Amino acid sequence: MNNAPALLNLAVLSLFAVLAAPLPAAELTVYTYDSFVSEWGPGPQLEKAFETQCACDLRFVGVEDGVSILNRLRIEGEQTRADVILGIDDGLLVETRATGLIAAHEVPLDGLSKTLDWQDADFLPVDYGYFAFVYDSSRIKAPVTSLKALVASDAKVIYEDPRTSTPGQGLMLWMKAVYGDQATAAWKQLAQHTVTVTKGWWEAYSMFLEGGADYVLSYSTSPAYHVVTESKDQYRAALFSEGHVAQVELAARLKTSQQPALAQQFLAFLVSPEAQAVIPVTNWMLPVIDAVTLPPVFSQLIEPARIGFTPEAVAGSRQDWIAEWRSAAVKD
Amino acid sequence: MPSSYRGGAGRVLALAGLSGLVAVTGVAFYGLIGFSGQVADPGTLQDPYFYGILGFSLKQAALSAGLSVLLGYPVARALYYLPGLWFRRTFLTLCLLCFVLPTLVLITGLVLLLGHSGRLAPLLGADWNLYGLKGILLAHVFLNLPFVVRALYLQLLHIPDTAWRLALQLGLPALTRWRLVEWPMVRGRLLVLGGFVFVLCFNSFAVVLALGGGPQATTLELAVYQALKYDFNLPEALTLAWVQFAIAGTLFVLLGRLGGSSWLVLEQGGDRVPVPGRWSRLGHGGVYLLCALFLLLPLLVLLPALADIPASLRLAPLLQALLNSFLLALACVIPATLLAWLLLWPQRLAQLQQRPRRRQLLEWLSTHTLAAPAMVLSVGWYVFVLPRLDLAQWGPVLVVLLNLVLTLPFALQQLRPRLLQFDAQYAPLCAGLKLAWPERLALEWRWLGGSLRAAFALVLLLAMGDVAVFALFGNEAWTTLPWLIYRYAATYRMQEAALASLLLLVVCGVLVWLLEQGRDGGA
Amino acid sequence: MGVLELDRVRIAREDWALEYDFQLESGAILTLQGRSGAGKTTLLLLVAGFEAPDSGDIRWQGHSLLPLPVAQRPVSMLFQDHNLFEHISVWRNLGLGMGRQRTRSWEQAVRDGAEALGIGTLLGRMPATLSGGQRQRVALLRTLLRPEPLVLLDEPFVGMDPQTHALAGEWVRARAKAGGKTVLLVTHHAQDRALGDRNRVLGV
Repeated sequence: MNNAPALLNLAVLSLFAVLAAPLPAAELTVYTYDSFVSEWGPGPQLEKAFETQCACDLRFVGVEDGVSILNRLRIEGEQTRADVILGIDDGLLVETRATGLIAAHEVPLDGLSKTLDWQDADFLPVDYGYFAFVYDSSRIKAPVTSLKALVASDAKVIYEDPRTSTPGQGLMLWMKAVYGDQATAAWKQLAQHTVTVTKGWWEAYSMFLEGGADYVLSYSTSPAYHVVTESKDQYRAALFSEGHVAQVELAARLKTSQQPALAQQFLAFLVSPEAQAVIPVTNWMLPVIDAVTLPPVFSQLIEPARIGFTPEAVAGSRQDWIAEWRSAAVKD
Repeated sequence: MPSSYRGGAGRVLALAGLSGLVAVTGVAFYGLIGFSGQVADPGTLQDPYFYGILGFSLKQAALSAGLSVLLGYPVARALYYLPGLWFRRTFLTLCLLCFVLPTLVLITGLVLLLGHSGRLAPLLGADWNLYGLKGILLAHVFLNLPFVVRALYLQLLHIPDTAWRLALQLGLPALTRWRLVEWPMVRGRLLVLGGFVFVLCFNSFAVVLALGGGPQATTLELAVYQALKYDFNLPEALTLAWVQFAIAGTLFVLLGRLGGSSWLVLEQGGDRVPVPGRWSRLGHGGVYLLCALFLLLPLLVLLPALADIPASLRLAPLLQALLNSFLLALACVIPATLLAWLLLWPQRLAQLQQRPRRRQLLEWLSTHTLAAPAMVLSVGWYVFVLPRLDLAQWGPVLVVLLNLVLTLPFALQQLRPRLLQFDAQYAPLCAGLKLAWPERLALEWRWLGGSLRAAFALVLLLAMGDVAVFALFGNEAWTTLPWLIYRYAATYRMQEAALASLLLLVVCGVLVWLLEQGRDGGA
Repeated sequence: MGVLELDRVRIAREDWALEYDFQLESGAILTLQGRSGAGKTTLLLLVAGFEAPDSGDIRWQGHSLLPLPVAQRPVSMLFQDHNLFEHISVWRNLGLGMGRQRTRSWEQAVRDGAEALGIGTLLGRMPATLSGGQRQRVALLRTLLRPEPLVLLDEPFVGMDPQTHALAGEWVRARAKAGGKTVLLVTHHAQDRALGDRNRVLGV
C-alpha cells in the first residue's frame, strides 16, 4: 500500500479540525435541533439578524432532534457549553427543568398570543403548531371530521411512534384527551387500519406523499408549505371537532452560561416581530405573537380548539400511557 | 509443525491493535455504566414486553437468514453451472452493491415498488402491507441474499476440477454427484453464512426502524435505541444490550467452531463443471433471471425521480456532502484494511501452530463488534467523550473511529479465507525462502488482489452509508450525503431527498464497479 | 566426522514412529529411497525445521540445528508441491528471498541454469501456464541457486519425461558439486541412485 491516501486523510482530518475551531469575540452557543439550522431552516436568517444587533458571534450547535438536546444537557451537566437551548417542546419541559440547569428567561410574556396562554418563567415559547391529520383533497372529498370518526373508519393511516417522535406523543395525548380510560380499545381499533407506525415525522410524511396512506399525522401548518414552496394546494389538514393537541417549541437559557445578558437578549429577540416573521415560513409552525405578517395561506389554515394536558400531567403519566399504547396498538 | 512458525514484531503490533479494538467496546460500556452508576436493571427482564421483543428479534432473524440462504443457494448454483450467463460479472457486482446499499435508499425503493401505492401494489391484493414482518424480511433478504450468493458461488468455484472429472468418469448420476462433490463443499459454508446473516439481522436497526411499523415489530437493538434516547434509561438500555451481546456473541462462538474448517480450501477449481442438461439449464436461467429482477427493481424504481428535478435544487451542497462522505469513508477504509490484515496475523499463526482454540478466541475478539450492539458503542462513546472533548473539533475523528470499528469485521471476513489459503499453500515455502518483511508483504498484497478490493469496497461503502454514528457526532459544517438526505426530508424536501438518494446509489454503484474491475474470477 | 549428523533422532506420532541415525560428509549427495510412509519426507522436514524430533539431535558442522527456526537454518528445500507462488511470474519466483544477493552474476547463473534445464524461454510466464515438469525444473533451479549449503530435494523429478529427467539429474549433480553443496535427495526412481555419492533405503 502506498502512503498517499493515508496522508490525505490526516490532512483532511486536520482541516476539519481547523474549520471547526472556535472563533474569538463574545460568543453565544445555542443548542438546537439539526433541521432548525439547515440552510432552509430559520437558523441562518436568525443568526444574521441577531448578529447585526448584538456584535457577538452566535453559534448554533445542531443535534439530531429535540430530545437529543435534552440528552446532551443531561450528559454534559454543569460543564455544558450551551448558553441557550432552542427547540425543546412542552412535552419535555418538566424533564428539562429537572436537570436544574435552566435559568429564568426574564422576558415579559404579555406580548405573546392569547391563544397560547403561556405563563412559565423558565421556558419561552418560540413557535407552536397543532397536530393534525393531513390528507390529499384531490383523493378524499369528504374527510373525517373528528378523531372518533377517524378511529372508527377504515381509512389507511400512518402515524409516528410516541416513544420516538413528537407528533407520535401528540397523538397519544390526543387519544387520552378524547378517549380517557377507553384509549386501549381505541388504539386497538386504530391499529386495524394503520399502515405503519414510523420512527419519525419525515418517514411518515414522505410515505404519505408517495401515496402510502389516506391520512398522515402531521401539523396543521403542513399545507402551508406545499402552497408556498410548491404551489400545490390539494393537501389539507382535517379539522377535528374534539379539538387538537398543540406542540409548543421552547427556548431557555442556562444557569451555567458565561453570557447571561447576551442569552437573555437572544431570547427576547426570538419573540420579536423580526424573528417571528422568519420562523413560520422556514420552520412551518405558527408565530407566538399576533402582529406578524404572513403569506395569505396561513389565514386559510384550520384554527382548532386546543385540548390536552399540562406539561406536569404529561410527565407524570407518560410511562403508563406508552405502556398502554405498546400493548394495545397491535393488529389482531 | 507446532513450533516452526514464530510471530515476531507483527504479532506484538497485532495484539496492540486487538487490545485497542477491545478497548473501544470497553470504553463504550464504561461510558454508560459510569454515567448511570448501574451495570444493569434486572427489572427489565421481568417485563413481558421484553420477551415480546426478544421473541420477535429471534424470529425475524431466523426467517431472514433461512430465506437468504435457501434462496441464495440456487442462484449461486446457476452462476456456477452456467458460466456463460449474460451479465454474470455485472450481476456479481450488483450483489456487492446490494449488500452495502445504504438502507435509506433501499427503503425508498421498496416503498416506491411495494408500498401502499407502489408500482406493484395492484398485483399484490388489497390485504398487502409492506410494513411489519413482511417488509422486514423483504429488506433483509434483499440486503443479505446477494452476499450469500457471492460467498456460495466462490465456495463452489473451489471444487477441484479433478473431483468433477472423477465423478463424470465414474458415471455418477446427478444426485450422487451433488451428494458426493457439491454438498460436502457447501454444507459448512451454508451454516456459517446462515449464522452470519442471522447475527446481522438479529442486530438489525435501520430496516426495523423504517419498516417495523409499531410495537409488535421491535428488535432488541431498536429497544436499546429507544431506551437510550427517549427514556434516557441507561440501566434498561444496558440490560437489553447485555442480552443482545450475549446471544449474538454466543452464536459467533458457535459459528467459529463450526466454520473453521471450511476456510481451508486449497484447490482453485474453475471451468470444468459438468454441462447441465437442457431442462436444468432453463431452471438455472430462470432462477438467475428472477434474482436479478428482485435485486434490480427496487433500484430502477428510483430512476423516475430524475424526470422531476425541482427548481430549488442546488448542486453545490450535494456535491460538498458527497465529498465529505467520501473523505470520511476513505479515512476509515485505509486503517480498517490495514488493521484487518494486522489482526489476522496472530490468527494465522495460531492456525499454523494448530491451536484452534486460540485462533477462535482471536477471531471472536477481532470481530466482536459485529455482535456488540452498535447503538451502545456509539452512544457509550458519546456519553464518554461529551464532557471530555469538544465535539466540534473531535467529531470527524470519532465518526471515523466508530465506523472503523463497526466495519472492521467485514474487512476481516474478506481477507481471512484468502490469507489462510496462502498460509496453507505457502507457509513452508515462505519460511524456506527466508523472505524479508517487505518482500513477504508485497507478496501477500498481490496474492490478496480481489479480496483486498472487496474488503476495500465493503468498508468504503458501509462507511459512506452511515447515518447512525454521524447523527451523534456530526454537525452541519461537514454534513454527509446520507445525513443531507435526512435533512432534506425533514424540511419537506422530498424530491431533493429522492434525488440525493439516487445520487448516493449511483456513486455507490460506480465505486463498486471500479473496485470490481480487473478482478479475476468475478467473485 | 560428517558435516550433517543425525544423532539418534526419534519422532513419534499417534500411530507411527521413526528413527534416524547417520552422518553425511561435506559436499556429498545422499539419495533416499523407500516405500511410501517410510519417512523420507519426514526426514527432510526434520532437517529443514518444519518438524521437531522427540529426542536426539540434528547437527550441522557440529552445532545443533534444533534451536534454530526454519528461516535461520542453512537449508534450501524443494517441497513436493507448492514450490511456486501462482500469482507472480517465474522470474519473480526465482528471485524471492535473495535480497542483496540478486547480483548480475546471480542473474547470469539463473539464465545459464534455465538454459541448461531447457526452461530458458519460460522465465516471463506465470506458473499456471507451465506443465508439471517445467514447474519442477523452475523449483530445482531456485533451490540449487540459493546460497544455503544444505539442499533438500523431495521428489524433484516428478512429472518429467525420461530425457528431461536425465538432463535435470545431471544438472543437479554438476551444480551441487560446483557449489560444494551437501544434498539429501528423496526419489522413488532407482536410476537416481547414480546421482548419489551414497544411497540409503529407508524402512527396511
